[in-house]
Amino acid sequence: MRTYILRRLLQTIPLLLGISALTFVLLQAAPGDFLNMMAENPAISAETLEQMRKNFGLDRPWYVQYFVYLKNIFLHFDFGQSFSRHQPVFEVLKQGLANTLLLASAAMVITWGLAIPLGVLAAVKQYSLQDKALSLIAFVWLSIPEVLSGLLLLFLAAQTGWFPLGGMTSLDHDLMPPIQRFWDLLRHLALPALVVGLVPLAGRMRQMRGNLLDVLRLDYVTTARAKGLDEHVVIYKHALRNALNPLITLFGFTLGSLVSGSFVAEFIFSWPGLGSITLEALNTQDQYLVMGAVLMASTVLVLGNLIADLLLAVVDPRISYD
Amino acid sequence: MRHRIVAAFAALSLLALIAGCGGGAAPRSAWVDSNPLPQDTMMTPMNEIGVHGGRFVIGATSSPKTFNALMANETSTTDVIRFMFVALTDIDYKTQQDRPLLAKSWEVSPDGLTYTFHLRRGVRFSDGTPITSADVKFSFDVVMDQTLHPSMQDGLTMTVAGKRVAYTYSAPDSHTFVISSPRVDALMLAHVGSVYIMPRHSLIRAFESGDYASIYGTNTSPDSIVASGPYRLKEYVHDQRTIIERNPHWFGVDANGQRLPYLDQIVYVVAKDQDVAALRFEQGELDGLDNVKPENYASYVDKAKGGDFVLHDIGPSFNTNFFWFNLNIAKQDGPDRKKGRPIVDAVKYSWFNQRDFRRAVSHAIDREALIKGPFQGFAIKGWSTMTPGNARWHDPAFQGADFDTAESKKLLAGLGFADKNGDGILEDTKGNPIRFTMMTNGDNRIRVDMLNLIKDDLRKVGIDMLPTPLDFNTLVTKFRSDFTYETALLGLGSAVPSDPGMGMNVWKSSGLTHYWNAKQVTPATPEEARIDALMEANVGTSDYEERRKSFREVMAIVNDQAWVVWLPVQKMMLPVRSKFGNVDPSPMPHRILWNADVIYVKPGAGKR
Repeated sequence: MRTYILRRLLQTIPLLLGISALTFVLLQAAPGDFLNMMAENPAISAETLEQMRKNFGLDRPWYVQYFVYLKNIFLHFDFGQSFSRHQPVFEVLKQGLANTLLLASAAMVITWGLAIPLGVLAAVKQYSLQDKALSLIAFVWLSIPEVLSGLLLLFLAAQTGWFPLGGMTSLDHDLMPPIQRFWDLLRHLALPALVVGLVPLAGRMRQMRGNLLDVLRLDYVTTARAKGLDEHVVIYKHALRNALNPLITLFGFTLGSLVSGSFVAEFIFSWPGLGSITLEALNTQDQYLVMGAVLMASTVLVLGNLIADLLLAVVDPRISYD
Repeated sequence: MRHRIVAAFAALSLLALIAGCGGGAAPRSAWVDSNPLPQDTMMTPMNEIGVHGGRFVIGATSSPKTFNALMANETSTTDVIRFMFVALTDIDYKTQQDRPLLAKSWEVSPDGLTYTFHLRRGVRFSDGTPITSADVKFSFDVVMDQTLHPSMQDGLTMTVAGKRVAYTYSAPDSHTFVISSPRVDALMLAHVGSVYIMPRHSLIRAFESGDYASIYGTNTSPDSIVASGPYRLKEYVHDQRTIIERNPHWFGVDANGQRLPYLDQIVYVVAKDQDVAALRFEQGELDGLDNVKPENYASYVDKAKGGDFVLHDIGPSFNTNFFWFNLNIAKQDGPDRKKGRPIVDAVKYSWFNQRDFRRAVSHAIDREALIKGPFQGFAIKGWSTMTPGNARWHDPAFQGADFDTAESKKLLAGLGFADKNGDGILEDTKGNPIRFTMMTNGDNRIRVDMLNLIKDDLRKVGIDMLPTPLDFNTLVTKFRSDFTYETALLGLGSAVPSDPGMGMNVWKSSGLTHYWNAKQVTPATPEEARIDALMEANVGTSDYEERRKSFREVMAIVNDQAWVVWLPVQKMMLPVRSKFGNVDPSPMPHRILWNADVIYVKPGAGKR
């Protein structure tokens, strides 16, 4: 197992290198650079622009810039500075990453917290009115784009005043007692997490329903019923465990999309996550900040996939990596 | 169906039981000044004497990027740091005149070259350290540093006989600062006023070790940022909010001798989207909007009747809209160009380069229709960078070629352009159809709407224009580096101060932003040579009437030549909650809050 993990981790190095090279080339191919905005300002002279370009290293050819970037990473573990903030990129990104992970985890709780019980309900009451109603609602939500559902919920918040209109904390957050702070955070989190979490709900719910139905048809379930076990015990103790197995793998894979799955919701609800930083960095061509954000998202994706594979081995004794 | 979904999710969110809790107004108790006033206070003019307390919450499109005032380059940053740091002088946004700030007074030498500033005595930074001329000199040292090269440096250097010469400065004693320019600089006070005074004691080590650019970043603890302005940093939460609070050592006082500012705090809340910001204003989360789309004015006029907020009509904006023709000449050979030849197609250049063609295009544009359409009636005609809203510099004599279809057709016929094949499009004397593209940035809806109306107007005189909205960065590259465009529609924001001299780079033929033909080595036309001389004269004297006269002539030449085709100037209305007193928004940047040191919450109006 350990050698497998080590091998997988080593494999990510060339992968990340490739991603960084591709991102860098694409950034260079985009017209203009970070100083575009300033070049538009009549009050700024050519000399100033030239000196700034030199300070940022933008006067050198792109391959030299990329080489210096790599050199700093390998020799000093330095991922460069944000041009606009004059700060190391990870200093800028870390808070956004934490906020995005919080939002994504909350969304995941919603997805799975609803998908499993509702999927079980739908399977147990197959073809009943509840089953049909659940799939209808889930599929309607699945087909509403995140932008629209986000705006609908924002509208709901504006009309009812039940929820804040975006942001992550209230103005007086720091003055609140801890419990109220937590509550304040939850109220801000609720709508964006719903938007992100309800999208995959339909799929997961159907998956749960299908798995459970498959298992319920198996011989051992019939045996259990035949020996007179209570239906509850049959379903929750014997059938459900086996039905969950494939979902655990699926869960692992969704870990990978944690960082990138919530960009739209972040924008609509002014959630201060990685998405808004990345978008702003792209628009202003703050190139090392973009690079840092892309590398960060890729790393989370790679790790998510690794965890998914490992989970699979843990829950299914038939799989072994040694 | 949708009702059911909403109902379902409302049920799901039982979590939110305590809806409406939190967010109460900050408690208001009588404010007590804990520090003695300095010897030289600054009496700040205001309409009404206010009371202390309360806060103003305003939306911002982005978080500040740094609190290092001399390294700031974009508005989300300068909006905030402007209140945390002061300069020797300041602009009164109402009169657009220079006024004393950290400097109590100044004298100008008889030759107009040397300015001697006398600092206020007894004034202190927010940490209680006295502000002396050593801090002033330190701040100028930072600005003049060759490596850091802050953008303020441009204002403190001058080209003399082809060489950049820096202004010289010194601090002869602890309360005097002297600066000299090689020739008279009409904007000396504005340039000095662009240098924020930074605390030497807190920053000198970073400056000497070469780390100045990254100090006072947004990752700095608020307590360790030493402010010289009316406010100091209280809290920074990335991409959420920035809170600044009263600097207890600020030297501004009201007519009763009470220390300013009145407000306890100013809060900048990040609302990236203009519509979301508007929603938050209507919900009462924000106290004012700095930017309102003209299409929403009418609804605000209605809602203002409720009395909760006042819609301030601040008149024509200082921002302009215009388009121009690409007359740029290649500076070197390239795959698609030859040195010394026009960059646009030779046929098109032959049209663009004629005054009559440019005037014909300008005459073809129905500006009244543009005002009624994209601006919803909230705009006015303008013919200069100094818009009709600019009381100090606007001149009724500014006048360009206005809407006159007959005149336009006459000019085009005079050039020999005629529709020979009957397709409704004119052809030039060699049979080329008169057809060109016009670019603008597609994210600006008003500009795109204008582009479409202009297309129709031009079609009526037989010119086929193809509107081409583009991404902003692509656009800037096109008219800054490779010049591959035919015509482009853009706008210029207001500088502070909004002074003709701030437009040197636009009007001088050697300028980087001399749109139609940038960075000329020698003026391409006698008219441009004349403009160069006039602009030099304009900033070479401090005589206001003389400066108005020379700029009037510059605009007369530009408008006669129609190098720039002017489009309407938006009128601005800004909503601000009626509980605030001394609100007097300006069209210049920092619109609502430019005088935030005197804005106050009216007693008894604090509850909402």
